[in-house]
Amino acid sequence: MWDNILLGFATAMTVENLMYCFIGVFLGTFIGVLPGLGSLAAISMLLPMSFYLEPTTALILLAGIYYGGEYGGSIASILLNLPGTPSAAVTCLDGNPMAKQGRAGVALFVTAIASFVGGSVGVIALMGFGPSIARVGLSFGPADYFALMLLGLVAAVTVGGGSLVKGLIMVVFGLLLGTVGTDVTSGEFRYTFGFLELRDGVSLVAIAMGLFGIAEVVSSVREAGKRKITEAVTMRSMIPTRADMRRILAPMARGSSIGGFLGALPGAGTVIAAFLAYATEIRVAKDKTRFGKGAIEGVAAPESANNAAAQTAFIPTLTIGIPGSATMSIMLGALMIHGITPGPLLVSDHPTIFWGLIASFWIGNLFLLVLNIPLIGLWVKVLQFPYKYIYPVVIALICIGVFSMRTSVFDVGLVVIFGGLGYLLQRTGYAAAPLILGFVLGPMLEENLRRAMLMARGDPMRIVSDPLTGSILGLSALMIIWSVYGGVRGLIRSRQVKGIPPGEA
Amino acid sequence: MNIVTLRFVVAGILASIGAAAFIIALGYEFGSARRMGPGYFPAVLSGLLTLLAVSEMITAALKPEAISVDWQPFLAILAAVAGFAVTMYLFGMIPAFFVVIGITTLSENRFGWGAALILTVVTSTGAWLLFSRFLGMTMPLFDWP
Repeated sequence: MWDNILLGFATAMTVENLMYCFIGVFLGTFIGVLPGLGSLAAISMLLPMSFYLEPTTALILLAGIYYGGEYGGSIASILLNLPGTPSAAVTCLDGNPMAKQGRAGVALFVTAIASFVGGSVGVIALMGFGPSIARVGLSFGPADYFALMLLGLVAAVTVGGGSLVKGLIMVVFGLLLGTVGTDVTSGEFRYTFGFLELRDGVSLVAIAMGLFGIAEVVSSVREAGKRKITEAVTMRSMIPTRADMRRILAPMARGSSIGGFLGALPGAGTVIAAFLAYATEIRVAKDKTRFGKGAIEGVAAPESANNAAAQTAFIPTLTIGIPGSATMSIMLGALMIHGITPGPLLVSDHPTIFWGLIASFWIGNLFLLVLNIPLIGLWVKVLQFPYKYIYPVVIALICIGVFSMRTSVFDVGLVVIFGGLGYLLQRTGYAAAPLILGFVLGPMLEENLRRAMLMARGDPMRIVSDPLTGSILGLSALMIIWSVYGGVRGLIRSRQVKGIPPGEA
Repeated sequence: MNIVTLRFVVAGILASIGAAAFIIALGYEFGSARRMGPGYFPAVLSGLLTLLAVSEMITAALKPEAISVDWQPFLAILAAVAGFAVTMYLFGMIPAFFVVIGITTLSENRFGWGAALILTVVTSTGAWLLFSRFLGMTMPLFDWP
């Protein structure tokens, strides 16, 4: 165990890896600060940068971009009261009132500290539980994998809130898009329409950039001009009082544990973690009326929860190979581009990648802290910069990014299609995250289903009657039934104070 | 109010994608539950997509609601990306940057040509430095068909 952790730090501590970790955190925060763009857009836009790097370095860069994007989103949420991601929406509830009272600096500082604490707890959970979960994963058969993936998809639809039918439509549409290309078993081309480019399947980055990049930019063009930041945020204003520090300790501890636990479950982990942490704080508080009016606990708890969840979300992604959220599925896609198949064997076959990545998670979180406190003035400047000079550049970068993935003009054309569709879907209340998740899981889901059915001799009852597989499938069925009766969604809707953007989970 | 709202149209698009995919999937070998052919999974999925989307169409028709769409930035940005694709194919990266940024600025009235020009020059220089110099990617800066 300690050997492995040391190996990890030795891998992550090389000058090159530290440099890319820093670059990742910096660029990720930069893109995350821009209105409408979150960590998912940041990862997809900067993915091509990682192609020319060693797999470990590339992953360290991407993980840095991921945290940076998450934190950048929080900065924009607190200062503009415009959450870029659903999990940041919770931070807004008390973060923005704090900013209005002239305590924006303290809110941002607490966000940074809480993120760091949550992230560290998540990293420790990942170190502690990752390898043992991978060992369990080794004994899984195709039917178990199928059931787990199905559970992940069902969770993404039912837990995220919004219409069940629309969520299911997006998942099924994503799965269907995943079937485009060469069928692994028979070698037959499906839905390629004679295009050579489609034989390897639809480009994940083209879909993600269309659905998240283009669609988000289009919807923020008109709104972004109206927002103004008046609060001056200086480093001095970030220093919290002693009373503040005392107040945030317990909420951070509670938030981190809630987040760490929920993040490892499939589905919209970070969002649920942030909501539950916030709800818990209200429940334990002596004076419940302070919440929503700038209570510092209301910033500390959800921020530490969603960062802990963001870390533990890597547990299923790395050790079983099943991503729990859209962002994780992009990370999974990135791993596969670098020739690494996540799964139970990753821990034993590629220890430098697994442990190096975990160590760099922690270093990335540390960078985030040391980078963002002195640089806060810079990020505020980025936010104050007129949006009209930013979005054309973002569009250009999306184009060149997608093109350079496979030096393919065809993929840029796909961005037009998915961007157009994505904006219309977003306007009519469809969340794009289930589609991405379905798209990434689709081929694996099909392969495992086919193998499982072959082993069960075509009898679905044999699959259902297996105790493990059957209970996971039963859980999925329960979640659907529960959400039809409005259980989870009712709970979320009652907590939902402001409109939460459909999208990244 | 009209039944044909944006919500109805979008559900309709999804239903037609599902139906088309189903018809195509019938052309692939279906196989059996034990030995699924390449057509099994797509046929089930596209059938499911069509059913779900049709039910969404019915819901949308029963409860029509107006949804606003910002057509100007929507069309401008899509045209810009399409323009990038065509120009990149024909003339290379630098002209493609001029096209994509030029068309994107049409999202707003009175963007200003000077600002657009400065943006383009800065962005294409930056991209050239990052992609060609720093990352060593090979892509044509200028091209002629």
